[in-house]
Amino acid sequence: MTINESIASVRKSFRADLDSFPSDQREIELLRSKYFGRKGLFAGLYKKLAVVSNKEKPKSGQAINAFKIELQSEFEEKASLISGDNKDTDEQSLDLSLPGFPITNGSIHPLQQTLDEIKNIFKSVGFKVAYGPEIEDDYHNFEALNIPKHHPARDMQDTFFVENDVVLRTHTSNVQIHLMEEQEPPLRYIVPGRVYRNEAVSYKSYCLFHQIEGLYVDKNVSMADLKGILNYFVKRFFGEGTTMRFRPSFFPFTEPSAEVDIWDDKRGKWMEILGCGMVDPNVFDNVGYDSSIWHGYAFGMGIERMTMLKYGIDDIRLFYQNDVRFLEQF
Amino acid sequence: MRVSIPWLKTLVDIKQSAAELADTLTMLGLEAEMPDNASFSGIIVGKVLKADKHPNADRLSLCTVSDGKEEYQVVCGAPNVAAEQFIPFATVGAVLGDDFIIKKSKIRGEVSFGMICSERELGLSDEHEGIMVLNEHAKIGSDFADYLSSNLDYLEIDLTPNRPDCMSHVGVAREISVKTGQELKFTYAEKRQFKKNEVADILSVNIDDKNCCPRYVAGVVKNITVGPSPDWMREILETAGQRSINNIVDISNYVLLEMGHPTHIFDYDKVPSHTIGIRKAKKGEHVTTLDEEKRKLTDQLVITDGKKPIAIAGVMGGLDSAVTDTTSTVLIESAYFDPITIRRGAKSLGMFTEASKRFERGADPKGAENAYWRVVVLLEELAGGEWIPGIIDEYPKKISQNSITLTREKIDILSGCELSDTFVTDTLSNLDIEVKKDGSNKWTCIPPSFRPDLEREVDLIEECCRVYGYDKIHSSFHYGGLYDLAEVDPEDVLSLISNTMSGLGFRQCYLNSLTDENTAGILGKHSIPMKNPLSATLSHLRTSLFPGLLQTVNYNIRNGNSNVNLFEIGKEYNSGKEYGEVYHLTGVMHGEWLNKSAHNNEQQQSIHSLKGILEALFKRLNVNAVEFAKADHNHYDFGLSISLGKTVIGNCGKLKKSLLDDLDLDMDAVFGFDIELKPVTKEIQLVKKYAAIIPYPKVDRDMNFVLDQEIDTGDVTKAMKNTNSKILLSVKPVDIFQHESLGENKKSVTFHLEFQSAVKTLEEAEINSAMNDITAIITKQFDAKLRD
Repeated sequence: MTINESIASVRKSFRADLDSFPSDQREIELLRSKYFGRKGLFAGLYKKLAVVSNKEKPKSGQAINAFKIELQSEFEEKASLISGDNKDTDEQSLDLSLPGFPITNGSIHPLQQTLDEIKNIFKSVGFKVAYGPEIEDDYHNFEALNIPKHHPARDMQDTFFVENDVVLRTHTSNVQIHLMEEQEPPLRYIVPGRVYRNEAVSYKSYCLFHQIEGLYVDKNVSMADLKGILNYFVKRFFGEGTTMRFRPSFFPFTEPSAEVDIWDDKRGKWMEILGCGMVDPNVFDNVGYDSSIWHGYAFGMGIERMTMLKYGIDDIRLFYQNDVRFLEQF
Repeated sequence: MRVSIPWLKTLVDIKQSAAELADTLTMLGLEAEMPDNASFSGIIVGKVLKADKHPNADRLSLCTVSDGKEEYQVVCGAPNVAAEQFIPFATVGAVLGDDFIIKKSKIRGEVSFGMICSERELGLSDEHEGIMVLNEHAKIGSDFADYLSSNLDYLEIDLTPNRPDCMSHVGVAREISVKTGQELKFTYAEKRQFKKNEVADILSVNIDDKNCCPRYVAGVVKNITVGPSPDWMREILETAGQRSINNIVDISNYVLLEMGHPTHIFDYDKVPSHTIGIRKAKKGEHVTTLDEEKRKLTDQLVITDGKKPIAIAGVMGGLDSAVTDTTSTVLIESAYFDPITIRRGAKSLGMFTEASKRFERGADPKGAENAYWRVVVLLEELAGGEWIPGIIDEYPKKISQNSITLTREKIDILSGCELSDTFVTDTLSNLDIEVKKDGSNKWTCIPPSFRPDLEREVDLIEECCRVYGYDKIHSSFHYGGLYDLAEVDPEDVLSLISNTMSGLGFRQCYLNSLTDENTAGILGKHSIPMKNPLSATLSHLRTSLFPGLLQTVNYNIRNGNSNVNLFEIGKEYNSGKEYGEVYHLTGVMHGEWLNKSAHNNEQQQSIHSLKGILEALFKRLNVNAVEFAKADHNHYDFGLSISLGKTVIGNCGKLKKSLLDDLDLDMDAVFGFDIELKPVTKEIQLVKKYAAIIPYPKVDRDMNFVLDQEIDTGDVTKAMKNTNSKILLSVKPVDIFQHESLGENKKSVTFHLEFQSAVKTLEEAEINSAMNDITAIITKQFDAKLRD
């Protein structure tokens, strides 16, 4: 077979293969090596040059080269059609200044991020996590927590009523009662959840918010322990250099009670972050714990407030507006 | 509550600045703040040089005000403006409040260059009767803010409801005295002796309900002169934020602010029966109160003249029996009413007065008598009255203080700090608690009558701790109990879900669970209404997360973000036999899921981009048995149900236009899904098991079938999987081709199959045999033709 005959034979075989061009990338690669590979048909053609006379060699060589270029370009064109994206040409893909593909981002809501962070801090020191109902009876939301009916302390929390004795819980403290009703001491829990207040919506208050409650019951628990855990928490959440203040306050379900402030350098004043205290003996009585043996502390904080302080957000309504321009910052 | 610093200084020596005092009180549990000094712009101390009548208006004055350098003509409408006064002067260009800019203006034909301000205009108080007059130390031309901070004479205290005793200057002064060790300079007015109880001849008091009114003290003072109070009284009341009215009213207010005990002064002659009755009101009765409002009564506690109500007990006096300019004989009431009774009464009438606030928190039963004597003295001194010797003191239900045992052991456990015996004894007795040390480890204590909050041992420990200083308690770490190995957080799995959704390009939302009635019922579910909603738009608990998310999409579209994928993990609330709170994962997608770029064209969201997201989610969660099936759903145009085994766990699809219309939302196609989380989370294994990776190669094959147009590729895929071939790993449709050459109503579908054996490298013959089986089944079951 002369060189030309060999070329013609390769051409014929190539045409046939081109017609039944595979769609699978691996088969395309197989085909590519059938012609252009180290042991492929073109390699065969070049081998044949060895037996051609020196006079013919350049001409035949050129013929094979031209033929190879022709076939290669046909092959690549076909291959690129199969791989689909003809927009992404070599030239463009080499323009490294082009932005990449427009991949869509998602985000986790800032309140969720704060909640996760707070949960993790307390989990790291051995707190478990519990949850409870938002629609709650008066007993668990108020009475059992030492807030009798017609007591001025009820004014501290404006309440939504579902029925006369059923409310949307005003705090997560209802879960304290459920936990102690169900379990024997000692126990150590945090309780996150959604709570409601019948208050006009403004930049600083919303009709609902999220709280995280802590409860620790054991023998010999003191105010110093309460201060210890909160100090640890505040420094981990707001940073090592945070200054914390612990001052007396009043909650019906704790005695002694305290409020915790942190110093805000920017505003130049103390910012209240949470309420806490030693579990009131009346609460222990209500759940059947012996208050001469068991002591405990409880604390509660607002997730919104913590988030606002941490990120410098000045309007609580932003959390519930879910503006993408807000969400994408977190 | 506002407390006057000059007043406090008459009761206890105070060496601290106002700011330091606020800090001391705060650290004692009385949260005190300096009044918020709004930043002032352009307001200076001015001096009125001349105040003449405005030529064209009777009620206006034409003043000349100096700032120390220049003189300005200013028109002023206040009745109290006068020459020589130092006043807050808002110059032209000054800003009052948020955006009220003072301009040069013409008032009734006279030009005014600025304004003389009242306290309300400055945002300092509600006082708007006249302009604010500054003291003689004011420095003309100086910044008004500087004047304010150097002349600050009061603090605002945000009292907790357990401390009625501190709703008075004596109460606050006592706290300061306990903390600083300075002596409390206050003694109750002396109880007077009398030969004969003459007042009993001219007044009788009948308590109907001793539980509601345990004590009622009364007496009479005659020949009084109603007139203005002396300057010292007017000034001290003013620093406490109380305007002077006349000497009689001022006396009652003064005693209230001083000792915290509310009294009421009737005009004796306007109670002609000379009888006071205390009983519950009857339905249909009414009384016109001092504020000239006619009050319909139901069952409030009232003071009567023996027959009809003349005052609402503990809340407000009646107009008909009130002191007027012509009053000459007064009847003093100083009672102790039951807190709950007063609270209910005040609440039912929506009247929260200085008196009711004190009674409902618990007044001092002994204070009833002490206040009586104080009022008598002041009526004599300030109104020239003559006391009718005697006192009526009906005290049918004695209120006494229980004795409390305080133990060293409990102090040590709870406080976590070292409080010495002397400190405990001194602190408690400084708080007017009767303390007796019993042996080495015990105290017997009787709290004073003005501290209803001290009932138990822990209450006394709190007293010791707060006086000691919470700031001095050290921090410690102590855990007696063991770490518990039980499940740490049942909701960890929700984090996995939200993180996955975020990775898939969705933004997490937090939405209000309260909504309006229509929206709550829009998907045909029963919602839970609030008995006392905040507003009509927030009256019901939501029954679906969809409306809130759709409204959020709409909000974002209007704010320039039309390509949004949102999700929420939250509760739906339903009313069945019991109230239900059910966690859902709900999401919506609008616009493009892939934006146009130099590399690609944009891709719109579609039912299949939606399905892709959900498939990816379930794959990530390792919940593999999820199936989608066409289902009619009343809020989707194209709807699919999502099930797990036999349980339907949710649905997805293209949301109906009519639903968007009902929500009043105008937007393009929105796709959504809603999944109940409990059945899903049950399936999720957070602790995973490893399955060995198969070392033998996978073999890929394509099969091309010509099918009837209406056959669902999903059914064919499922049938292929069901051939029970041990080596068939996966099947998925990868291409659908329609052409007339295929025949009428036909389509050609390419399926991509993967084969693999767990035990060996597959041979060609095995694969072919499996494919033959598949071909046989598919051609038979779907009347399909294999295309070469």
